Amino acid sequence: MPNPLKLPMIPRALRNLVSKPATRRYPFEIRPRFAGARGTIEFDVETCNYCMLCARRCPAAAITVSREERTWAIEQLTCIACGVCVDVCSKHSLSMSVNSRAVHLRSEVGPQGQRPGHEEWHKPAPAATDIPAVAGVPAPAASQGA
Amino acid sequence: MRRTTIPFGPQHPVLPEPLVLDLILEDEKVIDAIPTIGYIHRGLEMMVERVEYTEMGFVVERICGICSFMHGMGYCVSLESIMNVEVPERAGWLRLIWAEISRIQSHLLWLGLGADAFGFENLFMHCWRMREQILDIFEKTTGGRIIHSVNRIGGVKRDISDSELAAILVQLQELGEAFKTTARVFGTDPSIAHRLGGVGVLSMEDARAVDAVGPMARASGIATDTRLIGANFYDRIELEPVTETAGDCLARVVVRLREIDQSIDIVRQAIEKMPKGEGLPLENKPRGNPNGEVFTRLEQPRGEVLYYVKANGTKNLERFRARTPTFANIPAMIKLVKGCDLADVPNIILTIDPCISCTER
Repeated sequence: MPNPLKLPMIPRALRNLVSKPATRRYPFEIRPRFAGARGTIEFDVETCNYCMLCARRCPAAAITVSREERTWAIEQLTCIACGVCVDVCSKHSLSMSVNSRAVHLRSEVGPQGQRPGHEEWHKPAPAATDIPAVAGVPAPAASQGA
Repeated sequence: MRRTTIPFGPQHPVLPEPLVLDLILEDEKVIDAIPTIGYIHRGLEMMVERVEYTEMGFVVERICGICSFMHGMGYCVSLESIMNVEVPERAGWLRLIWAEISRIQSHLLWLGLGADAFGFENLFMHCWRMREQILDIFEKTTGGRIIHSVNRIGGVKRDISDSELAAILVQLQELGEAFKTTARVFGTDPSIAHRLGGVGVLSMEDARAVDAVGPMARASGIATDTRLIGANFYDRIELEPVTETAGDCLARVVVRLREIDQSIDIVRQAIEKMPKGEGLPLENKPRGNPNGEVFTRLEQPRGEVLYYVKANGTKNLERFRARTPTFANIPAMIKLVKGCDLADVPNIILTIDPCISCTER
C-alpha cells in the first residue's frame, strides 16, 4: 500500500501556481502557422492550361474545371488539403498556403446557387488581354489569404 | 435478486467515445455486459468500390483521428506489397519515425483521458500539455496535426531535413525528461493506486484465451508486439516489448507510460541509422493497377491492426478490411467488466483504450 502522506503532485501544483500558464491568450496572442502547414489551395489563373488533372485526381471532388468555358472552381469547404492537386499540376498553377480556411456562413450562397466557400476563376480566350474576370461569389481576391 | 439493466453509452460523461454497452446488474455488481457495435458505422470500407485505390489512402487515414498516420501507412504498405513496389530507404525510416511519434501522442492522449476518468484533472492537463508539443512536431513536419496525408503508395510525400530531425530528437528527449515527474505521479500517488491497483485483473491465461492485443496483453505479461516481426524497418531497431505482470488497470497505465520512453528511444535509433543527406529518393511511383490480395499487420498504439486488401486489376479495389485493436480487445473488456463493481466499470473500459471510431469504421 503506498504511503498516503506521499503526495507527488503537490510540489508540481505549487510550482504551477507561480509559473507561466501553458496556454496562450488566444484572440490576443496567435501563434503563426508553421511553414509547412497545409492550409488552403491557392490558384494562379494565368498559368493554368485547363488540363483537368487536378479535378480528376482530387479525392474529395472539390475541384471542377470546364475547358470549354475556361473556368476553374474549388469548394474550399469540401477540400481536404491533401495536396494531391498541387503535386499533379504540371504548370505549377496550384500552391498550398499556410492560411487556414476562412469561415463561411450557410447563408453565403452565390447567385447561381454556389455553396459557401465556392471560389471560381475564369480566363477569357487567349486573344483577350484584359485581367481575368471573376464569375463567382465570393471574389477570390477578397476571400483568399484572409 | 432482481436484475437491473443500465445503458452505458453511447453518451457517457466518462468516455468521449460512443461505446454502447448494456450492463446487467445485481445490486452494485455487474453480472453481464452486452456490447453493441455499429452506432457510428460509416461504411468506409465499402468506399473502395467507388474511390480509386490511389485516393483511398486519404479515406483510410480518416478511420480514426488518433492513429491516422498508422492507418494511412498500413494501407500504403498493403498496396506496396501487392504491386511489388519497394519503398526508398529514407522514406521507410521516416514512416517509422512518424509512427513512433504518433504512438507517443496517442499514449499521452490516453493517459490524460484516463487521469480525467479517475478524477485527476490536474494530471490530465499535464499529459495533454506535452501532447500539444508532439502535435506541433507533426504540424511542422507533415503539415497537419491530426490528419497527416504524407503517406503515398510507394513512399512518403515530405522529407524532414537532418537538422530538423536532430532538433526533433532533442525536443522529444527533453519532453521525455520533463514528463518523468508527471509519470512518477501515476506510479506513486496513493489515490491512483487505490483507484486502479488490483482492479480489473486480467491474468496471462485469460489474456491468451480472449486474444488480447497490444498494451492490454503486455500488461498481463505476454511479450507480444507486432513490431517484432521486423517489417517496415523494425528489424533494424533494438526493441524489447514492455511487459508488466500484474494485469490490473494500474499495470496497463504503467505499460503505456514505459512505452512513451521506448518510442523516444526508437526515434533516436532510427535517426542514427537512417541514410543522411538532402534530396534522397522518397517515393517510387507504382505502375498500373494492383492485382492480388494481401494481409498486413502493424502495431498501432492500441495493439495489432490487420488490413486485408484484395485487388482485381482495376482502379477500384475489390475488398478492403481493417481489423482494429479495439475490436480485438472487446472480449477482454467484457471479461473484465463481468463481476466488477459498477463504479469500476469506467476505469476498466478506459484502460483497454477503446477507439470506437476505429472499431466501427
